[in-house]
Amino acid sequence: METIIPKTSVVLSSLLKADFTTQWRNRRAVILTLVVPVIILMTWKGMIGAFGGPFVLSNSITIGLFASGLMGYANTVARDRDKGIFQRLRVAPVPSWAIMISRLMVQLAMIFLITTAVFIIGYNYDGITLTPSAYIITYFTAILGGSVSLSLGQMIVGYIKNPETVNSTTRLVYLAFILVGMLGELYLKQLGEVWVNVVKLSPYGAVKTILSAGMEPAKWNADTTAALLVTIGYTIVFTFLGIKWFKWNTK
Amino acid sequence: MTNTNILTVENLNVRYGDFQAVKDVSFDVRKGEIFGLLGPNGAGKTSTLSAIEGLLKPQSGTVIVDGHNAREKPLHVRASLGVQLQSTSFQAELYVIEVLQLYAGVYGLSLSKNDIRAILREINLEDQAQKKFGELSGGQQQRVSLVIATIHNPRLVLLDEPTTGLDPQSRRQLWERIEAIRDRGHAILLTTHSMEEAESVCDRIAIIDHGKIIEIDTPQAIIDRHKNEPEVIAVSRRGKITLEDVFIALTGKEIRQ
Repeated sequence: METIIPKTSVVLSSLLKADFTTQWRNRRAVILTLVVPVIILMTWKGMIGAFGGPFVLSNSITIGLFASGLMGYANTVARDRDKGIFQRLRVAPVPSWAIMISRLMVQLAMIFLITTAVFIIGYNYDGITLTPSAYIITYFTAILGGSVSLSLGQMIVGYIKNPETVNSTTRLVYLAFILVGMLGELYLKQLGEVWVNVVKLSPYGAVKTILSAGMEPAKWNADTTAALLVTIGYTIVFTFLGIKWFKWNTK
Repeated sequence: MTNTNILTVENLNVRYGDFQAVKDVSFDVRKGEIFGLLGPNGAGKTSTLSAIEGLLKPQSGTVIVDGHNAREKPLHVRASLGVQLQSTSFQAELYVIEVLQLYAGVYGLSLSKNDIRAILREINLEDQAQKKFGELSGGQQQRVSLVIATIHNPRLVLLDEPTTGLDPQSRRQLWERIEAIRDRGHAILLTTHSMEEAESVCDRIAIIDHGKIIEIDTPQAIIDRHKNEPEVIAVSRRGKITLEDVFIALTGKEIRQ
């Protein structure tokens, strides 16, 4: 009897269907991911005059990306690994990369969903509009920003095996990023230039900077380019460590 | 039973850091045979199975499944295997019918919902098709796991402690299903702690301890070979020598972690 190796396209399509169905059934968690960005859009309406629409939109998207990459992706991977779901897939003729690609495709869809939701609410509630090219560039910078949060999530789930510890760690990191990146930019300027740079070059700050600049391409400057390079650097380092440390099982 | 080997394991060595979990293990599993791997906790059963499944890379040795060398053709080996892991779980959010569709897909099968309902009907679970896997009872979960392990008609089925935690009715039913799989021409390699299971369903067994195979034969032949040994008689509890008596005498009475 001939051994049939399934086509990668068939395997990937089955994995994608299962992963997207799983995400759909977890839509309550998806809605929670959008809660904080929406709150920012609504409560910061009064700041648009002083800081501009891109400032509000970029902070909202950044928060959404980190919520999705850290708390969504990392916790799902930690839970599924703990339950042996990955191991069961790995004893089938499925390349390991296909398992992760399928998961990442779901996250890519989440990045588009978050960005689109922020654009729609930003337009309808806050009256923020961007040029068509700015909308398109922002989708690309959102993918870059999303890759930082996903790779950071991968690094955490690689380093920590226990799903409860992954859950609490990602929440702490998320909170720290909000404090350092968002509030830091608003309130720490009086502490000096060094702190401002720390905040700007933190993962949150760098992602927020490229998102904001993508919404106003004319304002792209050396600081933005530095933030872009830092974003790529974070992604490379976090991904390298995340893959190096990652184990498919918790034993 | 023919002598066609579906699985050949030769001089398998598995190491975790300084700890050698599997030492020069060799055995084969033939077509239409249920082969049991018995051993105390930590004896090397699951490590041996994991090396066959490709979940861990052995230090040395050869694994050949249905003519495919596991090092050279890992995807061919995995396509020839049906596996039920010791602690398998499926995506909690998916319905049973969706889990079966997923695994049909990853094995390259195109099954309609009707085909899957027919499979579930065979295991008396058609009415559970729209339930989530976690909502099934232990016995129902085992039936689903087993049907997924054999959905692609594999040459070799690996079952890691398949009846652990099942009540006697579910266990007996699972044995019948395992025998039915064997009767359809599959070869089965199972690990178990249950001597009753080994005697009842296994055509041949290997006893593994401290990573080494110390006995390999039919359950009755192993009993016959050791039944007059003083160590075996000393541990016997009911006069008649059982496989468990021989197992305890060979592997020792101390409790393993």
